Amino acid sequence: MIEEKTYRKYLEALIKGDKATCSVIIKEKLDANINIKELYTGLFQRSLYKIGELWESNRISVATEHLATSITESLMHMTYPIIFESEHIGKKAVISCVASEFHQIGGKMVADIFELHGWDGYFIGANTPEYELYRMIHDKKPDVLALSLSLYFNLPKLLHLLEQINEWFPGLDIIVGGQAFRWGGREEVEKYEKVNYLSSLDELEEFIANNTKP
Amino acid sequence: MKDQIKLKYLNDHASLMNIECDRDGIIKEMNAYARKIAGDMTGKPFGNIVLDFTNTFNFEEVVKNGEQSRLLNVATQNNTPQTFYFRFFSTEDTIMALGELNHAELSDLETKLVRLNNELNNTSRQLQKTNSELKRLNELKNKFLGIAAHDLRNPIGLVISYADFLLEEAYDKLTDDERLMLERIQSSAEFMINLINDLLDVSRIESGKLELNLQAVDLVDLIKNNVELNQVLAEKKSITISFEHLEKIPPVKVDARKIEQVLNNLISNAVKFSHPGSSVKLDIFRDSKHVNVSVTDYGQGIPKEERPKLFKTFSRTSVQATGGERSTGLGLVIARNIIMGHGGDIWVESEVGKGSTFYFSIPLKK
Ligand code: B12
Repeated sequence: MIEEKTYRKYLEALIKGDKATCSVIIKEKLDANINIKELYTGLFQRSLYKIGELWESNRISVATEHLATSITESLMHMTYPIIFESEHIGKKAVISCVASEFHQIGGKMVADIFELHGWDGYFIGANTPEYELYRMIHDKKPDVLALSLSLYFNLPKLLHLLEQINEWFPGLDIIVGGQAFRWGGREEVEKYEKVNYLSSLDELEEFIANNTKP
Repeated sequence: MKDQIKLKYLNDHASLMNIECDRDGIIKEMNAYARKIAGDMTGKPFGNIVLDFTNTFNFEEVVKNGEQSRLLNVATQNNTPQTFYFRFFSTEDTIMALGELNHAELSDLETKLVRLNNELNNTSRQLQKTNSELKRLNELKNKFLGIAAHDLRNPIGLVISYADFLLEEAYDKLTDDERLMLERIQSSAEFMINLINDLLDVSRIESGKLELNLQAVDLVDLIKNNVELNQVLAEKKSITISFEHLEKIPPVKVDARKIEQVLNNLISNAVKFSHPGSSVKLDIFRDSKHVNVSVTDYGQGIPKEERPKLFKTFSRTSVQATGGERSTGLGLVIARNIIMGHGGDIWVESEVGKGSTFYFSIPLKK
């Protein structure tokens, strides 16, 4: 559980660019065995959404936003000793953003949640050329491909990508998510038989549970 | 009047460098922003505020050629170069340089930084992931090795004891060929036991289970015993093993059984790779912090490029045993781990065609 007080303290430090204080808070939470998904949504996501709002309404500068994002991403590294140590069950997921997306934190969380549940979560970063993705799918032969989309105006790019993957890797299970879908797009992607939209990490965990059984 | 106020305001407050020079390029005046960026450089040549990486900037020439603008890297007070877009205006006795930050470059840089940052983070994640994978695989390997080796040891032990039994009890009833076969069975099985023991040692060492039972030990005695043990093998190849030491050696804290394993390995190797009729020499000597032991042979020597491989798991060198003896290729790995576990070091000096000397050192205190 993340108390309101903790969130406030964290957000304040994050806006100030005070990484030290932020990491003390995260360390305390990790030492207290916090659920990783809760940490990701209750602290990282919530604060970044707030940062987005403040930025949109011109109350913080773009520099402050960049710094906050950078800090968040490096704090995520603190969870690696936990997520990568879990017992692996031989299932694989490839997680990617759509080309020309720079937003990668949400996608990376998805990859980490896969790891946490014993899957291999191979994450290909933001703005990766499409051929890299195809190569990864070819090499890793994942059980599922997860795609993250943050910018609504990149939806056509996602649809194009789905078209390609459908053609080259028919039968591959695909899940998509990300906040771009707040502005629509769900019907378009789910036109593809193998594609499912998942709205949150909770739904993702449900999906993982259903697909982990042999 | 209004214009003057406007100008004064711009000069004092806008983010625009305003630098006035004389015709020789010596700075006469700088506005507040210019001072903030480059520090007070009045009286110095304009060229001094420019970071001229290619050594081609010449202010006078720029002015002479009538250039009106140029991108220049400014040496800022905190030593980070920043690109400014300068425009030059000249009158009879003054050259005025107005510089503004190059925004196009900044936003380009920003994009590049975001991407680099993304990449860095992802590489770091991948590294961590691979690291955990390797750790898991190594654990698995060691577990597997441990189990396999353990389960192999008993049946092979049985093969050896039956071969022993037959060779002793039925010796007279066997033909020469049959005896030879039995001896082959026996020696092959013994080699397998050695290999299994080495593998078990390696897997134990790699999973951090090297346990040392440290006691004060007289290394000289230990060496003497080991020389004795290896004498039989050596005699078969007419090799003499000698151990003379001049210095008095204080007892050191070691695990005697483990050090014996190292000695045995080094001495038997020396015999293996020596020419029949030659000799193997051991020595022990101390320096201020260590006791050192050396084992010298006058065999083939080890080529320089192969020496680093010696102490690595499953790597073999091109050097052949002179009597066709077999080796598991793990002995030196184990020896190295044992010596390192004692806080010491192990190394080799060698010359092709002349022979090799293996050294190990054990710290005096601990
Ligand atoms: C950080 C940030 C950036 C950073 C990203 C750096 C990085 N390393 O990722 C930078 C500076 C690069 C950036 C740039 C831009 N950004 Co921006 N950015 C943000 C900000 C503040 C936070 C994003 C974030 O990480 N959120 C936290 C994560 C955890 O949340 P999430 O992405 O929603 O992910 C969760 C779920 O959606 C879900 N999920 C995500 N993917 C998937 C996939 C699957 C399969 C599943 C199951 C679930 C799932 O799980 C996650 C955990 O719950 C948001 C504000 C916001 N509301 O999010 C704006 C925001 C996303 N950005 C926005 C915009 C407009 C831009 C720019 C166009 C701005 C500009 N003019 O330059 C550029 C575009 C650059 C590009 N080409 O991509 C808008 C998007 C609006 C829209 N309609 O699409 C937002 C919403 C801000 C706003 N309110 O205006 N941005």
